[in-house]
Amino acid sequence: MLPAQAPSVYTGAANVIAVLILLAEFGMFRQALLRDQVRLYAGQSVLIAVLAVLVAAVRHLPELYVLAAVTVALKAVAIPLVLRRLLRGTAPGHPLDVSHDIAGSGGLGLASTVLIGIAVAAFGFFSATVLPVSGGGAPVTALSVSLSVVLVAFVLMIHRRDVASQAIGLFSLENGISLAALVVAASLPLILEVALLFDLLLAVVVFGLLIRLHHGRAETLSTTDLTDLRG
Amino acid sequence: MLPIPVIQVLQVLTIIGAGPGVSGVIARVEARLQGRRGPRVLQPYYDLAKLFRKEALAPAGASWVFLAAPVAAFTCYLTVPLLIPVLTTFPLPLGYMGDILGGGFILSLAGFLVAVAALETGSPYAQLGASRAKTFAAITEPVVLFVVFTVALLTATDLPYALAATVRSSAGQIIRPAHVLAAAALFMVILYETGRIPVETHSGTNEFGMIEEARSFEHSGPYFALLKWGSAAKQLILYTILLNVFVAPWGLAATRQPWAVVLAMAALPAKACVLGGVVAVIDNSFAKLRLFKITEFAAAAFLLAVLGVFTLYLGGG
Repeated sequence: MLPAQAPSVYTGAANVIAVLILLAEFGMFRQALLRDQVRLYAGQSVLIAVLAVLVAAVRHLPELYVLAAVTVALKAVAIPLVLRRLLRGTAPGHPLDVSHDIAGSGGLGLASTVLIGIAVAAFGFFSATVLPVSGGGAPVTALSVSLSVVLVAFVLMIHRRDVASQAIGLFSLENGISLAALVVAASLPLILEVALLFDLLLAVVVFGLLIRLHHGRAETLSTTDLTDLRG
Repeated sequence: MLPIPVIQVLQVLTIIGAGPGVSGVIARVEARLQGRRGPRVLQPYYDLAKLFRKEALAPAGASWVFLAAPVAAFTCYLTVPLLIPVLTTFPLPLGYMGDILGGGFILSLAGFLVAVAALETGSPYAQLGASRAKTFAAITEPVVLFVVFTVALLTATDLPYALAATVRSSAGQIIRPAHVLAAAALFMVILYETGRIPVETHSGTNEFGMIEEARSFEHSGPYFALLKWGSAAKQLILYTILLNVFVAPWGLAATRQPWAVVLAMAALPAKACVLGGVVAVIDNSFAKLRLFKITEFAAAAFLLAVLGVFTLYLGGG
């Protein structure tokens, strides 16, 4: 067996950032506090921006700098702010009441969910290798990582029982797609990328409404009660 | 030019000589971070000297295993430094006795012997510590295995010298995700193995949370000194593996010149103290995990190690 070839520094760095994005996704998995989940989401978005800057610098794609700036402004600053305000709004009149701050846990223990996450991430990894993609911007390994991010975000949304975590799962899923876009089509017209970002903004508004509405009706962020049919 | 056998002996002497000192530096830094003055850096040496002068007692009913285990475990800790790059970049002849896995086996043999001695005592705390240590060791074992797989995929061998040379060879080798992930996973395992904060309080007297520390409760005198010295040496061995193989394989002697070897002997404790400082900061910034949360810590380390192997299989790691 031959030793695995070393990638170039650029490829290695891009892949490390991609893996860090995946790890942030796993971090959201493990976090029990919604506040920390939002923080991790902001961190993940910053990592996307860093990757965009890296790709822009190495591949000479200046419009990616703009994308990075918009990403930071929107996903690392605006959306976390909005989410935090929404979450604050759901604690009824008690600024110190932290019971609403705790994300509803899923049905499984943490260690087993991480193992499921690993299995799903592995599926994403190896299914991406059969895709006939030759990278435009970032290295192709980052594409398989992005597939894993999307799949793990799905698992996050499925196993968490509260609206806020599910919203964060959806937003971080979009981060996975941004990562894939950076890999496959780094030189995608900026207007399309920005349109995607504003799509996300729309999702935030919709989810904000949903969180408010759900909390107003059920006095909780948990979605477990939604399974009871009422005549 | 130093003869090779001398360098091999110096490897062992560096580890057992500097081990307690590194522990002392960590204790000092930790105390400083907490606003205390802290013990002298040389305090562990004074402790050992004191313990060696003391009388040794054994619980009634304990067999010869109880007294033999500390000596045998210490011998294990004397053996491992021969297998890993402690002072030199070039492999020394005895380095081919065993690979990373072999070194790991010898370290676990030492842990097993200490656990058996703890079971000999009949003391509930020592037995509890031994049983916990073995339980959690079984959970961290897969992490170590996956780290070894990563090393094997990176270098096509699993000799620690080969990985150190690979890491030194280019910047691309350092930044590749597989290497970063494996090093991070190994660091988490080392936090567990040296009984540091997310897993265990190192210097407390809280028996309920104890894992490794509780095992030596019944030992006394020179035997206890050997156990303490052994755990300090084990800590430095693990730090050496992380530093000289994974993270910072620089400052090693490339030739057999005496000054180069002496420089390497000074560089290793210095690097270990820097790493110890990081560990002390972690010690002070996190709370101890509840006992049943340790599986989650191990799961996180396992995640890192598995991702490392995955990225390698994709060809981009």
